[in-house]
Amino acid sequence: MTISKLQIAHMKPSVPIIQGGMGVRVSLSGLASAVANTGGIGTISGTGISIEEMKKQIRKARELTKGVGYIGVNVLYAMTDFSDKIKAAMEEKVDFIISGAGISRDMYTWGKQYGVPVISIVSSAKLAKLSQKLGASAIVVEGAEAGGHLGTDRPLLDILPEVTEAVDIPVIAAGGILTGDDMTKAMNLGADGVQIGSRFVASEECDADPAFKQKYIDSEKDDTVLVNTTVGLPGRAIRNQFTDKIIANEKVKIEKCTLCLKDCSHQFCTLDSLEKTVDGDIDNGIVFAGSRVHEIKEILPVKQIIDCIINQYTERTVVG
Amino acid sequence: MATTLDRIAKIVTDRLGVDEADIKPEATFKEDLGADSLDVVELVMELEDEFDMEISDEDAEKIATVGDVIQYIESQQ
Repeated sequence: MTISKLQIAHMKPSVPIIQGGMGVRVSLSGLASAVANTGGIGTISGTGISIEEMKKQIRKARELTKGVGYIGVNVLYAMTDFSDKIKAAMEEKVDFIISGAGISRDMYTWGKQYGVPVISIVSSAKLAKLSQKLGASAIVVEGAEAGGHLGTDRPLLDILPEVTEAVDIPVIAAGGILTGDDMTKAMNLGADGVQIGSRFVASEECDADPAFKQKYIDSEKDDTVLVNTTVGLPGRAIRNQFTDKIIANEKVKIEKCTLCLKDCSHQFCTLDSLEKTVDGDIDNGIVFAGSRVHEIKEILPVKQIIDCIINQYTERTVVG
Repeated sequence: MATTLDRIAKIVTDRLGVDEADIKPEATFKEDLGADSLDVVELVMELEDEFDMEISDEDAEKIATVGDVIQYIESQQ
């Protein structure tokens, strides 16, 4: 049987899995190319790195995939360099751009100019519809189970049917997808594919420091909390002494400010807190993760993770 | 001919279901007229059609009140 019927613009991945873009520096060329090489769609997070570094990562991913896998870039809309980065990524001829946490209309205009498909991450049917109207090639619908910045407090499986009903473009389900079972549930509700983030963090190829990945493996049930970052959105992270401080509304000294956010609360530096953890200092910053992170028990190669999900999905689909 | 304010008022009342009497220059879309950020984007898109112009993300983000819209449109004409 053909596993994937997913098609987004020119992209026809052999497995209907998009790897979620994870900033800062959690998903770069290493993880994105590993996913692309296994037949999925890889996403480099362009958030929190320089434009030059982003271009370097795109080129490196192209090399690692020998130019055949699908590689896109994700940039957080709240960043001041959003427009420059999106345009730079399009000039590098990425396969797609994906963005959420704010509504950009300009990125669709640029997408048309450069001929690069744009995928929108949404958490409601209303925004899904608007994105389709603006020219999105696909929608990622993300539920509250997801890690990182969130746009809703509703679970994925509640929102998903509303979104598949509302739009005609491909719908990718995200938030709390770890296994083939989860994928089956989402596909049965009309999703055309799934986006997976946390499960790929605990992979050999993920670009984060081993300590960051180990924090995922060591986490226990109900270990994730919501922290209001200076982006102005709640973000799901693994609880540690740093998130306790932020939740208690303590101000954390900002060492250096690069004015990276369009609108920052300056309670602490979100960028710095993410840079710390991705480099291995997992107690003094934010470790974003999905709500089911405690179910991840092992750091595995990307291929093994994808094979496992697809095998289970195939079994369920054939038998069930 | 309808004034700029009249034309804006029609779009805003249709979209947000508010009374025309509430559409004053000082009225903020979010607090006074109950729009969420999506409503604002959709309003901006309708204004683009009505006034035949393109409003960038950057300019759209600066729009908070009905008066901001009037001023923006008049500055573009």
